[in-house]
Amino acid sequence: MCGIAGRILGKTGDVGTDLVDLMDAQAHRGSDSTGFAVYGPPRESGFVVRAMGFNRAMLGQDLDDFHHILKEHGADFLENPTWDASTDKHYSVRMVISEPLSVARWIHEADTICTRFEVQSVGKSLEIIKDDGDAATVAEKHHVRGMIGTHGLGHARLATESAVRPNASHPFWARPFPDVAIVHNGQITDYYNWCQRLERQGYRFLTQNDSELIAVWVSDQISKGLTLQEALSLSIKQIDGVFTYMIADLNGIGFAKDRFAMKPLATIQQDGAFCAATEEQALRRVYPQKMKIINYDGPSITGIWGHGEQAA
Amino acid sequence: MSRYVIEVGNRPIKEVNEDIQAAAKTHRALLIRNTLSRHNLGIGLPKGVDVAFEGSVGYYCGGLNNGATITVEDDAGWGVGEGMDAGHITVGGYAGMSAGAAMRGGLIHIRGDAGPRIGVAMKGGNIIVEGKIGSQAGFMSHAGKIIALGGAGASCADALWQGEVWVAGEIEGLGVDAKVVEPTAEQVAEVDALLEPLGLVDSSRNWRRIISGQRLWYFESRDANAWLMI
Repeated sequence: MCGIAGRILGKTGDVGTDLVDLMDAQAHRGSDSTGFAVYGPPRESGFVVRAMGFNRAMLGQDLDDFHHILKEHGADFLENPTWDASTDKHYSVRMVISEPLSVARWIHEADTICTRFEVQSVGKSLEIIKDDGDAATVAEKHHVRGMIGTHGLGHARLATESAVRPNASHPFWARPFPDVAIVHNGQITDYYNWCQRLERQGYRFLTQNDSELIAVWVSDQISKGLTLQEALSLSIKQIDGVFTYMIADLNGIGFAKDRFAMKPLATIQQDGAFCAATEEQALRRVYPQKMKIINYDGPSITGIWGHGEQAA
Repeated sequence: MSRYVIEVGNRPIKEVNEDIQAAAKTHRALLIRNTLSRHNLGIGLPKGVDVAFEGSVGYYCGGLNNGATITVEDDAGWGVGEGMDAGHITVGGYAGMSAGAAMRGGLIHIRGDAGPRIGVAMKGGNIIVEGKIGSQAGFMSHAGKIIALGGAGASCADALWQGEVWVAGEIEGLGVDAKVVEPTAEQVAEVDALLEPLGLVDSSRNWRRIISGQRLWYFESRDANAWLMI
């Protein structure tokens, strides 16, 4: 049991606040860890990178090594990196970089130091913030309520099949596809088989979390020519398990639900804005007034919501 | 009817339910306001009290009902009336997954559609849905009737035991070991007797009564592949 949420605003606004409220209302679904994928105003050039280091004492060395690899791929910091001010052993870093010659090749090499410094998102717009603890704890530590943007995802994790570690939290970035992130409620039972197949194609998975697969799986299908809608539908047929997942990119949010209809999803759609959550009571934090709720309780359902439009 | 009012809002649900239980001892009719789709409202209510929930409720509203009359104005989340023993629950709109799961008695009346696995493992009582019932309706139900005035989703009456699913509209597909049989006039009269107090009798309905084919009752593991449906 985990809790997931998605939010699309009709325009740029306080999406961080809404995501925190949505996840705070679902903290009981899993307070092992909480995470947010926030899509801020897209940059015209360069990327925002979010990363996590696992030993704060190594912060300086980690950034030097990361910077060195970045420069080898034709890019550099555009702003000085910033990091959280906690005393936790692990730390989270935000960096703004110019564009590497190849994101895939750069990330492949940057991941050679992933056991001590793990890149968690790369995007023109996407920033993934995740950590141990419930929504209120993570939001306060990483100032999520202050983040503005157009849309985003949230996740509260009840760990079942992999370790409780800050980097095994959701959302997961679709390594190495910029600006693609997922949140997932459920279990993927053929995770290892699919990971092995994708690893043979050159993809890399950094955690033992089954959800990490989905983002890469969908993005891989799209890179081979499928539309997002086609990839979502195919995932229901090809990925085994019980799941409701949401995947976001620069344009909006899509979701898919398994054949067994085991995991809920309730939504409110109004005037180009959209709000989704595992539990309806979470939606009421954002829309306390009486609103029409659309429940996607049935099996084998997909949908896509973009800015100002709906195509479920 | 004058009702004693209890507010929910962001109060702890345990505290709200204690208030409802206490009020039920001294008032015959309660109005629960500002529900905000919260979970676990009105659990284990006693016989003789009439409780109305304003707006929508979350999961398990009216669970373990011991005889109360419960009305939800709009939608109900998963598991409305789960494990209820007696009483009458009305949902004004949509009821989510597993409405009436493992219920043992009483009546659940859903004016809108219902989600998948309605009446899963029910042991008695009856469920009437004015709209469509979702997939796997009556999954492993042991007793009682699920009556849909609308249609039914896929895998209807999947792995049913001794319960019955009645469908007046279109059925997307039958579940494992489910069998459609022609109801007798006496059986239709029994269903109409349940519908009559709700003003829902319509003699023009084309009822399909779905019961167990009883082959799964004697399941052998060597035959498992023959039962794989999904």
